[in-house]
Amino acid sequence: MTKSVLLSTMMLQMKQSFARPMFQFCLIVNPVLNTILLYEMFRNSGKTNFAAYVILGAGLMALWGCICFSSAGDINRERFSGTLALIFAAPAGFQAIVLGKILGNTLLSLGSLLISLATAAVLYRVPLSLADPGYFAVALIGMIGSFVVVSIAIAYLLTLSRRTTLYMNCIEIPFILLGGMAFPVELLPAWVQVFSRCLAPTWAVELLRMSVDGVSDTALFWNKFAVMCALSAVLALLSMGLYQVIDRAVRIRASLEVF
Amino acid sequence: MDTVIEVRDLHREYITHKGVLHRKKEIVEAVRGIDFSVKKGEIFGLLGQNGAGKTTTIKMLTTLLAPTSGACKVFGYDTFGEEKYIRKRINFIFGGEMGIYRRLSARDNLRYFANLYLLDARQREQRIEEILELVELTDAADRLAETYSKGMIQRLQIGRGLINDPEILFMDEPTVGLDPVGARMLRDIIRKLRDEGKTVLLTTHYLPEAEELCDRMVILNQGKIAARGTPAQIKGDAETLEDAYIALVQGDKV
Repeated sequence: MTKSVLLSTMMLQMKQSFARPMFQFCLIVNPVLNTILLYEMFRNSGKTNFAAYVILGAGLMALWGCICFSSAGDINRERFSGTLALIFAAPAGFQAIVLGKILGNTLLSLGSLLISLATAAVLYRVPLSLADPGYFAVALIGMIGSFVVVSIAIAYLLTLSRRTTLYMNCIEIPFILLGGMAFPVELLPAWVQVFSRCLAPTWAVELLRMSVDGVSDTALFWNKFAVMCALSAVLALLSMGLYQVIDRAVRIRASLEVF
Repeated sequence: MDTVIEVRDLHREYITHKGVLHRKKEIVEAVRGIDFSVKKGEIFGLLGQNGAGKTTTIKMLTTLLAPTSGACKVFGYDTFGEEKYIRKRINFIFGGEMGIYRRLSARDNLRYFANLYLLDARQREQRIEEILELVELTDAADRLAETYSKGMIQRLQIGRGLINDPEILFMDEPTVGLDPVGARMLRDIIRKLRDEGKTVLLTTHYLPEAEELCDRMVILNQGKIAARGTPAQIKGDAETLEDAYIALVQGDKV
């Protein structure tokens, strides 16, 4: 039953998201613009495989934008269309429904990585050469998992408030910078890096770049992978606890609907 | 008959905060100590002016809102804390054009909500066909809901509310905006549900409709019960239920 709830929610989400012009912009136009901007930024950086920063960075920024504006914004859209209360009280469970929504969005949003790749190849004749495709696949799965866990936590938090639009605008760019999606986190001040290191996607992004450059130190790769999994697991556990609090709080604060 | 809904000394406050530096707390008492019970198989009406507390009461009963104090039980379970025993057995319809996915067809809307109510695949498809026929949307079943008229959207809402064959159906002003044909259809559906032994709790502003359908009703005024009984009891010596209602809410008779 949960499988059919997840699958039907994913399908519904993909249909609904793709029909929205804002999502289409985030999914299609954003990675093209990001690729052009990052290419110009990194052109004279002296980095050997700067394509990894350009293509991955642009794709990941667009991917995060899609997830952020969709997973978070969808809670508000459901609220304003009067369906949030319906899915909240459905026997399938709000947690399964939110997971289905985020999986649907994430799956669709992965297209931004491909668009970024195509933009770099067509405009700049820069292909993305993968030194270690196997490690890249592992890192990609880890990255998807870490993004999904972060999105779930955000979606729960935004169920509690009706100021969703404000919050999702506030978190989009800081997360891109803290997660090292646009440039390496080592460029950030040391005290900011502490926050970066607490985010599972930061480690996922590093793993992706390592696998593109070539994994010379496999122990380091797996250590980073373990840290990413541990951080994701901690956030997943926190989210489960958070849901118990939010499940009560939304009904006490009456934030499921627009009054 | 078994009591399926029980409300005792129920209160609900809404708290809002205003201002940034000097935050002021404002408390609105929407429901102020109401009591009533509904028996299995009854059609029960909640009547009252806008802001009387009808919608707040229905939201507490449907597990969407926590009571501030008092008892709010459905099937003997608290609607706040024991909701998992209630949700599978009830459904609710809120009036207006909200509560459906407009970028899906009627069939896809019903299929999705059937999944959320954990209906198995065979049961689901059969139920969807029955409902589409009941709300007369079979011919338009595969068109996107965004192309529907207001009345069709409301009929789809009604269909959605019936998807899990609920034992209790809560309806908050379900005929708002419905044309006479749609409203008649809804009244027929409600009577059919009663014949099947289902319980219906509905709020409405349309007094002839309440008089025609309800076995018993309460009239809410400013969060309190102003009157209760059968439509005939509430009507009393007044010429119409509307006369009795206006007298009650204007404070001529409590």
